[in-house]
Amino acid sequence: MNLATLVHSLRQSLLRIESRLLQAAGLDRHLAPALAVSGSSLLPQLQPQVDQEEHQQEEQIPGIMDSILWMAAPKKRRTIEVNRTRRRAESKLIKVKNNIEPCPECGHLKEKHIMCGFCYAKVCKETRLIRQQIQALEGGPLKTPAVETVVLYEGEMPSQQDKDKRIVERPRKRPAWFS
Amino acid sequence: MRLTLHMLISHGRVARRMGMGPESRINMLRNILTGLVRHERVETTRGRADEVRFYAEKLIDYAKKGDTDEKAMKMANFWLTEKDLVPKLFKVLAPRFETHSRGYTRMVRIPNRQNLDRAKMAVLEYKGNPFPPLFPVKKQNELTLINQLLKGYREERAQELAAKS
Repeated sequence: MNLATLVHSLRQSLLRIESRLLQAAGLDRHLAPALAVSGSSLLPQLQPQVDQEEHQQEEQIPGIMDSILWMAAPKKRRTIEVNRTRRRAESKLIKVKNNIEPCPECGHLKEKHIMCGFCYAKVCKETRLIRQQIQALEGGPLKTPAVETVVLYEGEMPSQQDKDKRIVERPRKRPAWFS
Repeated sequence: MRLTLHMLISHGRVARRMGMGPESRINMLRNILTGLVRHERVETTRGRADEVRFYAEKLIDYAKKGDTDEKAMKMANFWLTEKDLVPKLFKVLAPRFETHSRGYTRMVRIPNRQNLDRAKMAVLEYKGNPFPPLFPVKKQNELTLINQLLKGYREERAQELAAKS
């Protein structure tokens, strides 16, 4: 009995090996699809080989395409209501400032903790003219004298404090806002 | 370097980062400080003005030691890139602030720069500069009604006290 079963199993394995060799060689006659990949026939396969090959052929090409083109896209159109709630959220609106007040000197608007732009421009203009006079006095770059400077307007004489200071003359009347 | 949590989170760190690294920051502040010492009033961004303020006041403290002091001269030589400002620092700015113990500079905020960047700007100046003051000194007008009434009240009080004594 054992001998018979042994012989039977040996015969079965030999037949299987033969059929696999034939498949690998491509000489077997059952349904050979044109696009079957020969590499897959070397893998150990169960009985329904034909169906598997067909399935593989069907799924191989769309399978690759699916894995490459898997990207995010909106499913539905965002309604105008949803869009409005997002666009008009509290964090996206411009905040109201309540620290704006008129400058007491000139009346232009300014922020409370920031200097008035008009008054600063006024001071800038005068400083620039004074600096031009200083440049004319010095004559060239990098010639700063080691003495204090004082600015005198038309008709002003240097006082006791301005004795040893460099005098910068401005040919105009003293402005009211310059002490 | 190891990527630690300490590197990623900066909670509580007060040191400002400017320019392209600490050396660049010091160079930038040195340039601004040289400009400040030369012109005594400069306009920069708020962050830079705030940083330079500290260095400007420290420089005056060093200058007060006198130009014979080795350390003071080294500091002035390093911080002032234009060397004709070194005598100005020791002979003009240091004597000017002899009576002051601190607070040699004034920083005033200005409307944002008109460029595309709309940067926050500030004016930094040494006190006692010869230019027109940024905030004009408000003169009290003696001729207003309230001031006249107060003047009358003070005179009456003075008369009463004189009559009593």
